[in-house]
Amino acid sequence: MTAPRPVEDRDSAPWWAAVREHRLTVQRCDGCGALRFPAVPICARCRSRGSGWREVSGRGTIASWIVTHHAFLPAYTDAVPYVVALVRLAEQDDLVMYGDLRGIKPDEVEPGLAVRADFDDLEPGLTIVRWRPLA
Amino acid sequence: MAADAFRDRAALAGVGYAPFSRDSGVSTLSLAVDAITAALDDAGLTVDDVDGLATHRVGDSTPPWVVAPSLGLDDVRWYLDQFGGGSVSHAIVGQAAAACALGLADVIVCYRAINARSEFRMGATGRGSSPTWGAQYQAPYGYFAPPQQFAMMARAHMTRYGTSTDHFAQVAVQQRANAVLNPRALRREPINADDHAASRWVVEPFRLLDCCLETDAACAVVVTSAERARDLRKPPVAITAAAWGGGHMFVNEGRRDLTVTGAAALAPRLYAMAGLGPGDIDVAELYDCFTYSVIVQLEDYGFCAKGEGGPFVASGATARGGTLPVNTHGGFLSEGYVHGLNHLAEAVQQVRGEAGERQVPGVEVALSTSQPGYVMGSTSALILTGAR
Repeated sequence: MTAPRPVEDRDSAPWWAAVREHRLTVQRCDGCGALRFPAVPICARCRSRGSGWREVSGRGTIASWIVTHHAFLPAYTDAVPYVVALVRLAEQDDLVMYGDLRGIKPDEVEPGLAVRADFDDLEPGLTIVRWRPLA
Repeated sequence: MAADAFRDRAALAGVGYAPFSRDSGVSTLSLAVDAITAALDDAGLTVDDVDGLATHRVGDSTPPWVVAPSLGLDDVRWYLDQFGGGSVSHAIVGQAAAACALGLADVIVCYRAINARSEFRMGATGRGSSPTWGAQYQAPYGYFAPPQQFAMMARAHMTRYGTSTDHFAQVAVQQRANAVLNPRALRREPINADDHAASRWVVEPFRLLDCCLETDAACAVVVTSAERARDLRKPPVAITAAAWGGGHMFVNEGRRDLTVTGAAALAPRLYAMAGLGPGDIDVAELYDCFTYSVIVQLEDYGFCAKGEGGPFVASGATARGGTLPVNTHGGFLSEGYVHGLNHLAEAVQQVRGEAGERQVPGVEVALSTSQPGYVMGSTSALILTGAR
């Protein structure tokens, strides 16, 4: 069994398209300017339906993280132990993304660790965002 | 609507189980039928008295519209087939209580029947990720199983409040001590903190003994009006308060503190409906998919200050003999995991005073809760009372 592939929806399709171009984007509300992620068709703050996509810096800090030791799918047998982090983006405090954290040993991860987005072309048409220590 | 809503107007009249195992060898329909008929027998009722059925499921169990005709019920006038896992386990009972209070049905059986070890393991083990809306942002990173989702939040609590794996261990040890006294429990051998520390990492910061069992089982409860319950076989246990709600998707947790669950918003509504507070609760059956979820609920249901859940457990307050015995049956960690209804069934037995060796003396008020809202954002809970 291979690793799960992301199944995009009609709201998230532009986000995945930007990721394939190695650009990290979030939605920006036309009404109040708030940034939001993941993709939804309405602003939870001002209820405006209008929004556009804005590129962000790809910088953030670790809000929390886990180290997975148990391979929940056979596809991860060789990957464990691996780190998945919840990353708080630099642009807005309530903007978070999940992603795996590469380039650091699991026991060296610390709260607040500064990270940057990294794009990984897994196969034609499929790119995902990973995270690496900024330093 | 008044804060007291349908307080004490419905009651739990019966509880029943299909045996807990790792491989039932039978269908979820068979398990459901066993639990439903056992619960009706406990209440002194028969299948012919039933006019309502409710369950919750995530594509892993048999629905009311299969159970009803299987039982020969051709006029079920109230049913509920709720999507969801543990977070809605108490919501379906609350909805049934409201229906009975309004007279929409007389006798509603709520059930949960699962082969959660032998057929449908929760959280993708060997099964691929579930096609939920948020999965696209998580599954590509190998993040899809409940131990991962709760470990992420547990880590945030540890970082912020100094909660430790030693605190987690005390939850597991105390609950196992309760399970030793429970003939129904799947794990009855005593454990200590060293056993916890020696168990393998599943997802740091959770070790194996921080994780609930995966269980084949069913549990059912009978809900009826307070009036009807008075004339049945067992002492009635009043549904004094029921609350459910939420909707905060876990992919968005950044919108608020990771260390606070949906239970913090729900608890004030629950206590207001009961006209009671945390100090009135004699036993608490708290949703323990993982040790950490007990700690955070102790805080969010107001039994201790925010951030003090770990030390509260370590003080012994939650152990048998403590000021607030928690998960008196051993919980999902040691009795078995039926996604919430087995917590409720234990609460009923404690209020009735029929919990045998594990009975806590003088229980009049019990709290029973569901998954606190870290997944699917929703949660639910009930407060039960006996003769007061």
